[in-house]
Amino acid sequence: MSDEPLPGEANGSRESAETADGRNTSLGSSILKPRYLLGFLGVVAFAVLPFAGISTTQLLVLIGAFYFGMFAMSWDTVSGYTGEISFGHALFFAVGGYTSTLLNLGYGVSPGLSIPAGVVLAAVAGVLIGVPALRVRGPYLSLITLVAPLILLQVFVIYGDIFGGELGLSAPTGLVSAPDFELVVLANYYIGFGLFLAIMGLLFVVTRSDVGSVLTAVREDEDAVAAAGLNVAKFKLFAFVLSAAVGGLAGAVFVHTPIGSPRPSQLLALTVSIEVLIAAILGGMGTIVGAGLGGVFFYFFNDVLNQQGWTLPVLGVGVDEASLLIFVLLTMVVVYALPQGVFPWALRSGRRALGRARGQQVATDGGTVDGDPPSGDGSTPLERATDRFRELLEDDE
Amino acid sequence: MVAVAPILVNGLVISSLYALVAVGFTMIFGVGGTINLAHGAVITVGAFAAYSITSAGFGVWAGALAAMVVPAVFSVLLYKGFAERRRDNVVVVMILTLLASIGVEELVRIVEGTQPRAIPPLVAGTTNLLGTTVQNNLVVVFVLSWVLIGGLFGFINYTNTGKAILATSMSTRGAALVGIESDRVNLYTWAIAGLLAGLAGLFLGSYQTASWAMGRDPLVLSFSIVVLGGLGSIRGSLVAAYVIGFLEVITTSAVDPRLSGLAGLVVLVAVLLVKPEGLFGREFTEA
Repeated sequence: MSDEPLPGEANGSRESAETADGRNTSLGSSILKPRYLLGFLGVVAFAVLPFAGISTTQLLVLIGAFYFGMFAMSWDTVSGYTGEISFGHALFFAVGGYTSTLLNLGYGVSPGLSIPAGVVLAAVAGVLIGVPALRVRGPYLSLITLVAPLILLQVFVIYGDIFGGELGLSAPTGLVSAPDFELVVLANYYIGFGLFLAIMGLLFVVTRSDVGSVLTAVREDEDAVAAAGLNVAKFKLFAFVLSAAVGGLAGAVFVHTPIGSPRPSQLLALTVSIEVLIAAILGGMGTIVGAGLGGVFFYFFNDVLNQQGWTLPVLGVGVDEASLLIFVLLTMVVVYALPQGVFPWALRSGRRALGRARGQQVATDGGTVDGDPPSGDGSTPLERATDRFRELLEDDE
Repeated sequence: MVAVAPILVNGLVISSLYALVAVGFTMIFGVGGTINLAHGAVITVGAFAAYSITSAGFGVWAGALAAMVVPAVFSVLLYKGFAERRRDNVVVVMILTLLASIGVEELVRIVEGTQPRAIPPLVAGTTNLLGTTVQNNLVVVFVLSWVLIGGLFGFINYTNTGKAILATSMSTRGAALVGIESDRVNLYTWAIAGLLAGLAGLFLGSYQTASWAMGRDPLVLSFSIVVLGGLGSIRGSLVAAYVIGFLEVITTSAVDPRLSGLAGLVVLVAVLLVKPEGLFGREFTEA
């Protein structure tokens, strides 16, 4: 599949979708695609934001949003790709955050060392959750993940003298120290933003590699993957440990920022696990970028809602009270109307609009029928891998 | 020396409530192959339906009626809205029901606040049992729970509708071949599960209190119960409800109250690791 037009080919977009895999296209041509340009502009916009008249308070919220975005991407790595929905991802976030805090407060370990320790311990937690995941199938795994953070929370409450129980621990040393608080916030903003981009890059590369394709195939048909001679268990465990380590990293750094603190309500409560799921579904499961943006949006918008003074018409309560309810309803609408999430939908509509602007004939599935092939780019990696394995899956029946 | 009688009484009452919740949860899985994570929210709906009726001046028995009808309707709506349309995808159903359950909890929290609400007891007075005074209310709750579960057994084993439910839980395809409409059977199952969970909500509300997050612990405990008993097995759920119920009461009253909820979770993880199909379970129902 190359840039050759496919005249009269109704499902041209599906065929050419393969070119969207970075591997098949040369980097030079793909980097000029509108969506990459848009992405680049987005990065630039975030980079100059602190100098665009934004207040320190808003910057603080954005710092939190970056970490929540990283956390959402880590959820997406395991749940969006392998289809093993984790209902308790906050476990990893909390293990990272609490480990780093305890080492820092209890033993005076500097964040530079306590954060890696948090990442390692979160990865170990990933193994502990991942191994049962290999033994059971179907809904059992989701039950385990739903229950694991509840157990951890119980342990935190029982050993309240160490873990601070429901109230949590006091804040550990900050990442940067400067006499001026605004400077500290600014530095934290760029650390958070840089880490967000780095994690997005890492997970993007991993999920677009052959490993990502295998994970997607596992989601579609585990037996087919096993029949192809691949060790399903190994790949699932890899996804779990990678996801846990990234989630742990996000949690461990988050507690050292001015806005994050080691408390169950921020790191471990059931709502945290649900919020990350909502964020990733809103953004688009199985896309990494969508999940990351969904996380940033969720955190930021949640804060905006919490600042609002107006009340909801029927219930007669403030919007700030009802923010989670609003998100839950919004997510239900998205799951119904745009099952793939907002980000893939936006890409597809953008591509369709572009095609129309160029006067191309638009195929019913959103691809362009002739002319410059659209390089498939509303399709998620999940769809592309499904397409690639479709023949195999259908033979199977 | 730990007093045995209170443990026995509390264990029996709480276990019978868990059984009501878990039986519905396991039926929904056994028949339709879906996990209803909003089952805990159904408990809350039942309790608050009863609370609104009783606090509006109607009697507690009118409240009990509301605690049966409203949750059953709510459960049917959940089935119609989520489980039926997205039945091809178990995970999507789990996500949607989880969201629905958070939505209900949030709604109750916003409207009713976080303050626990008391539902008046069904029957006043106390009785002397085994040397301890027991509230008559608890005796009634225990007896009613058994009457309901006995009725359910009778319904499933001796009526045509019940037999259709049983057949569908054994093999959806086989049941379809003999002309059983699985859609209707699923609908009945969700309605029955909603009714039982709603009543459990009423009983929990009059035994302890009703609050917006009251459904969470019973839901999580019913995971332990149905996994221990075997997903889809009603008999297994009954036995497991008593095992988990007593474990819970013994650990909280004889060991440490802070361990509340932990025993069930540990059992859940242990069973999943050692014997995932549970005591009475089949691996999975045939599609």
